[in-house]
Amino acid sequence: MQSKLSDIELIEQVLAGNQALYADLVKRHQRFVFTLAMRFAKNREDAEEIAQDCFVKAYRSLSSFQQQSKFSTWLYSIVYTTAMTFLRKRRIDTDSIDDEDTFMQVEDKPSAYDLYNAENKSRSFYLNQAIEQLLPDDAAIITMFYKGEQSLEEIGRALGMEANTVKVKLFRARQRLKEKLERNLKHEAKELI
Amino acid sequence: MNNVEETLWNYIDGNCSPDEQAAISKLIASDESYRLKYNELLALSQEFAAIELDEPSMAFTYNVIEAIRKEEALVPLKSTINKRIILGIAIFFAVTLTLFVGYALFSMDWSTPQLPNFIGNLSVDIQAPAISSDVKKMAFEGFIFFDVILALFLFDKSLRRKNLQKQGL
Repeated sequence: MQSKLSDIELIEQVLAGNQALYADLVKRHQRFVFTLAMRFAKNREDAEEIAQDCFVKAYRSLSSFQQQSKFSTWLYSIVYTTAMTFLRKRRIDTDSIDDEDTFMQVEDKPSAYDLYNAENKSRSFYLNQAIEQLLPDDAAIITMFYKGEQSLEEIGRALGMEANTVKVKLFRARQRLKEKLERNLKHEAKELI
Repeated sequence: MNNVEETLWNYIDGNCSPDEQAAISKLIASDESYRLKYNELLALSQEFAAIELDEPSMAFTYNVIEAIRKEEALVPLKSTINKRIILGIAIFFAVTLTLFVGYALFSMDWSTPQLPNFIGNLSVDIQAPAISSDVKKMAFEGFIFFDVILALFLFDKSLRRKNLQKQGL
């Protein structure tokens, strides 16, 4: 059972020495952090490694959290930098990260995970499939905006961008997502939309 | 079309001023193409908001806590040593050195001529202080002890650096 304390209260307790409560913070944010990591890594194993690394880093730096932003915003900025470091470590250079074709391969070769879920294709499945084909930045911005309860300013803080830049990126990301949905589903997309 | 979509997305996201919002509401009500586009984008927005989050493995929280526990166990010796121990070692060396110098001064033969005669014999007969073998042994052991501490400190520092490099920090 998860704690009813707020993030800030939990952090204060952890910093006061009740380290076991950090597990509650992890449980509270793990789904979102893992999803965000999936947007970058594109596979579960790597995403789990990134997400785990993020929580360890966050624990290590917990005392430096200034509480000037939401804990989630601070945590997502760690996810972003960790994921980018991870991608760099995998020797995917910046050009190829920006190259949409890199991620088009996912479209051509569905993973075993996709095939397993194909039987239970739902609306969210089609959307997630389209999101997987987006560039990591686009996918992360959409996920943070719709699922992370983050404002444009907060997303900007997490990604180190201006709120206006995030707004433009969000608009473009939604456009691309819409196009991918339409292309993937063809006639089905029309029904979905 | 992009401008229309951008305006409508701002309207849906609630990023418009009250005046803009009123103007767009009017347009949606009066213009068929606006209304169609608005409905399309609104449905899409609702779909995006309904995206399901992925679930990590069951052992995820446990793995995170274990990783933290392991990391804490690896905390370098430097940060876990009580500062009093360091102070104690420093005091030990200071006292040893003081005793050593004091004993050396005490053992010195001060009976030799105080000042050499500039005209006469300039040779000064200063006897080497008589240092007992116990003091020599103690000084040698102290020196070795200091070297061992220094070696352990440097070894710990290099291990820490390697560990940080491994973690990519």
